[in-house]
Parts: sequence; C-alpha cells; structure tokens
Amino acid sequence: MKNPSAKIKKLVRKSRTGWLFNLPLTVGILLFTFVPVIISLYDSFFSYDGLNERTWAGLNNFIRIFGGSESLHVSGDKEMKKIVVNTLVYTALSIPVNLIASYFLALLVNTALKGVSCYRVIYYLPCMIPAVASGLLWADMFDNTFGVFNKLLGFFGLGPYDFFKNEDLRAILSIVLMNMWSIGGGMILWLSAFKNIGKHYYEAAVLDGANAWDKLIHITIPMSSAMIFYNMIMSVIGTLQYNGTLTFGTRQGRGPENSLYMYGVKIYYEAFVRGKIGYASALAWVMLVVIAAITVVLFRTSGWVFYAEDNN
Amino acid sequence: MKALDNHDARRQSLAVKILLYALMTLVAVILIFPYAFMVSKSLMSHEEVVDPTIKLLPAVPLFSNYAELFSDSGYGMGFLHTFIIVGVNCVIIPLSASFIAFSFAKLDFIGKKVSFAVMLGTMMLPGAITQLSLFAIYAKLKWLNTFWPFIIPNLFGGGALYIFLIRQFMLGIPRDMDNAAKIDGANAFVRYWSIILPLCKPVLIYVVVNVFISYWGDYYGPLIYMRSSNAPKTLAQVVFESAVDENVATDMANIRMCGGVIMSVVPAILFAFFQKQLIEGVVLTGLKD
Repeated sequence: MKNPSAKIKKLVRKSRTGWLFNLPLTVGILLFTFVPVIISLYDSFFSYDGLNERTWAGLNNFIRIFGGSESLHVSGDKEMKKIVVNTLVYTALSIPVNLIASYFLALLVNTALKGVSCYRVIYYLPCMIPAVASGLLWADMFDNTFGVFNKLLGFFGLGPYDFFKNEDLRAILSIVLMNMWSIGGGMILWLSAFKNIGKHYYEAAVLDGANAWDKLIHITIPMSSAMIFYNMIMSVIGTLQYNGTLTFGTRQGRGPENSLYMYGVKIYYEAFVRGKIGYASALAWVMLVVIAAITVVLFRTSGWVFYAEDNN
Repeated sequence: MKALDNHDARRQSLAVKILLYALMTLVAVILIFPYAFMVSKSLMSHEEVVDPTIKLLPAVPLFSNYAELFSDSGYGMGFLHTFIIVGVNCVIIPLSASFIAFSFAKLDFIGKKVSFAVMLGTMMLPGAITQLSLFAIYAKLKWLNTFWPFIIPNLFGGGALYIFLIRQFMLGIPRDMDNAAKIDGANAFVRYWSIILPLCKPVLIYVVVNVFISYWGDYYGPLIYMRSSNAPKTLAQVVFESAVDENVATDMANIRMCGGVIMSVVPAILFAFFQKQLIEGVVLTGLKD
C-alpha cells in the first residue's frame, strides 16, 4: 500500500517534467506580456518619450484624454471628440452590418446544390488578401478622378464621391462599404454553427407546416445564437482597436480633417509619430477598460443566448 | 392530378435553383471584381491608368511592369527579408508551440489549470497594451531595425492560439499510444519528439501555413520596430510605404498594383492548396472556449 508522502513525491516528480515543458510559455508570458503590461501601466502616469527620463505626470494623461481641467491647468486633447465619435460610429455600423450580411451570405450557401462549396471558397478568398494589398487597392478604386468606382458611377450619371477623402462621417461609411468584401470570414463561422443544428428540428417543423421563414426565425437563428454572441464579442474587441485606415487613409491614416481618425490609429500616432509613449499608454489603458466593460455588459445581458446541450 | 402537381413542384424547384445559382454567381462576381481588377491594372500601361474612360482590361498586357517593380531594389531586398522572418518563424513557432502544448495535453503538473487560464487570458489583451513598452524595451536592447523583435518572442510558443489548437489536437491522440512507450521506458522528450509530434502533422501544417500568411502580410510590426531608413525592410512594409506615399505620380498606379498582386498571390496560392485545413481552422479558432 502506498503512503501519502510517496504519492506527493510522485506528483512533484511528475510536475518537474510538466513544468519543464511548460517553462517556455511561463517565461514568455512573464517577459513579453506581464512585464510590458506593468511597464505600460506605470508609464501612463508619466510624461515619457520611450528613450529619455520619465517625468511624473500624475493623472494628467488621463485628464487630458477626458477633456482636460481648467482648475488643474491640464488642457484637453482637442482631437479626442472626433476620434471617439468616429470610433463609436464605425463600431455601431460595421459590426451589425457585417454580422447580418455574412449571416445572409451563409444562408445563401447553406444548401446542398452542386458546386456550392466552390462558391464558398470564392467568397472566402478576399479574406486571404493581406491588409497592405487591399488598402492599396481600395485607395485606388475609391480615387476621385482615376478610381474605377467613380468612373462606373459616372457612367450612370452619379458621383463623383470622395469615399475615404470625405471630410465628414461619409469617410467612415466608405470603410463599412469596403468591409463588405470580407464577409466571407463571418460566413465560415455561421456555416459551422448551422452544421451543428440537428436535422430533426427542421423535419419536425416541416411536419408542423412551417415555411422557410418560420424555420429561419424559430430554428436557425435561436440555435446559432451562441455563435452570434461569440462573433459579437470578438467583433467588438477587434473593431474598437481597428487601425486599418493606416493602409488607405491620407495623413497617416487620419484622413482629411481627421475624418478617418480612430482610436487605434490615435495610439499609434501619439506613440510612434509624436513620440509620446506615456500618453499613448494612458490611451491604451482607457481602451482596455472600455473593452473589458463592454465585454462584461455583453455577458451580463446574454440571457438571449441559447446553448445547445447536444451538438450531434 | 397528382402527376400534374409533381410536375409543377419540379418546375418550381428548378426555378428556385436557377435563381439561387444566379444570385450566388452575382455575389461571386462582385466579391472577386476588385482583385481581378488589381491584376488587370497591374498589366496596364502608364497612359492607360490615367485614361479618364472606363478601362477594365489593358489593350496589351504589360508583364514588363513586374520587371519595372523589381528594378527598384527595395522590393527584391524586401522579399529576402520577408523570407528570412517567415522561414525562421515557420520552424520555431510549430516547434515551441507543440512543445508547450505537450505539457498541457499529455503531462500532469501542479498549476496546470492556472497556467492554461493565464495563457487564454493573454488572447483577450489588446496588442497596444504590450507594444508600447516592448518598443521602449527593444530600443534599450538595440533590437530596433533588426529581425530580433520578430523572432525572439516566438521562441516562447508564438502565441496562445497556436498552442491551444495543437493541444486540442493532441488531446485527440489515444492515450494507449504513449502509454505503451511509457511502459517501454521512454522519457517525456522521446514521447514528444518521436511519437506525439509526428502524429500532429495535420495541425502543424495548419500552424505553418498560418504563420506564413500572417508574417507575410505583417506591415504593422515592421512599421513600429523597423523605422530607420536602413532597416532590413520587409516586402509588406515596402508595399505599404509605396501605398501611403502621397507624392507619388498617379500614372505609377500600375506599378503599385504589381506590388499588391505579389503580396496577394502568395496567400492565394497557399489557400488554393490548403483551403480545407484553413477553413476548418477558422472554425476551430472560432470555437476556442
């Protein structure tokens, strides 16, 4: 009969091998995640350019982000208002438009027709194009004079439109339009969710005299709600950090009159163009808190999500 | 009567089928158009790209545009630098990620659950939080404008997602396989290297292809860490700089498109070969919880 101390000894000995294999991860997370996270939190309370000495700034960086304070002699960041509006409008439009468009695309190819898998591959192909290439391409296609979009619109007597070169929110709308070409990514996720819905639900519905619309509303959408929820969370996290305007926007991704200027580019611009690592760190921490808060709210209000118990 | 109904139903379903195919083809044409146009424009002459009329195809395809692109030595060197970064990472990431995944899938140790949860937690962290201070750290280490920021961090697993996917795959390998080896006295290293690793080939292919595609297209990393004019710039970075240069002549759009086509064609070919694994992988990464 084994005694307990021998058992513990054995577990410790086993642990040694396990930790040996796990060591690269632990060291990696410590060096390239924990240490930088703590340093950036620390930096957010300083005025710091990344190279020279830090100067204590207290909460000034944060006060600056939130509009400044006259009594404390901290001026507000005048760019912030437009950045916040742009980022919120982009998030509020882009996420629902993309989720719905890709959902309908997935419904369209969720059939057993011959060659349908070929169409799925074609729809996913634009998602494989690197951001630099598509940025280059869309800046060209949306050009006021030489762009093919305006030439085609001119053919029908419309336009010319400024697209990314608009000075108002229409610039943001152009990004939402451009994003329509990458709905294939969402489509793949929806298709996998549809595959997990048992056939018997549909068979039973047909017996009850349900038509295609009933099946969509009462079976497909509720049964894929877990994927809808997952997709929503990931989209919110990704969209709030979006800095893709760097590849197609003028003025280093900010656009004319800052019409394309969003939070992700703001962090980049403050840190690497203006050299204000301290202020950029404060911006990044505010973003982290906002993302965490939105995630918590989404989870708290996720009563509508239905988790299927058997996936077979 | 019944035969007639059947006939009607068949006609109706045929009409639906034709409608579906027409719709699917229309969507396909719209989605592919920009990329086909990019290829077409890359073959146009300098006069054609500034022609005010609608030109969808070049009169004569000018393949010499690609030679013109590479006459700028920045692109050739960019290719070389990208291949060094991509090549090294395609070896070290699958190796380090599978090594770590082995500890989660096949070994027991105190603190395993905590370590796993912390790893998954790092996936939710916005990149900006770490990038800013890593930039300052790399500057102190004199790593800026070198390959090190793109290689050293990847010796530690190359990201939670890859480790997670390989672990999922390893969990599916029957216990008996390495139990038999254990009874024969094989230690953990031997079991990892000669039994488990060879069986992980499908997921390793997925990881390699993804590492290739993500480092091939990465412009943001070089934009931050390789800012000096004599840095070993990557191809994505050179194409990026040509795209955002606002002083460039408009009639050079064809040459810029050549850069875009070269950037796109490599992932497109990889996708053609590995579409099944890649699409299934998208689904797997979509279900990580």
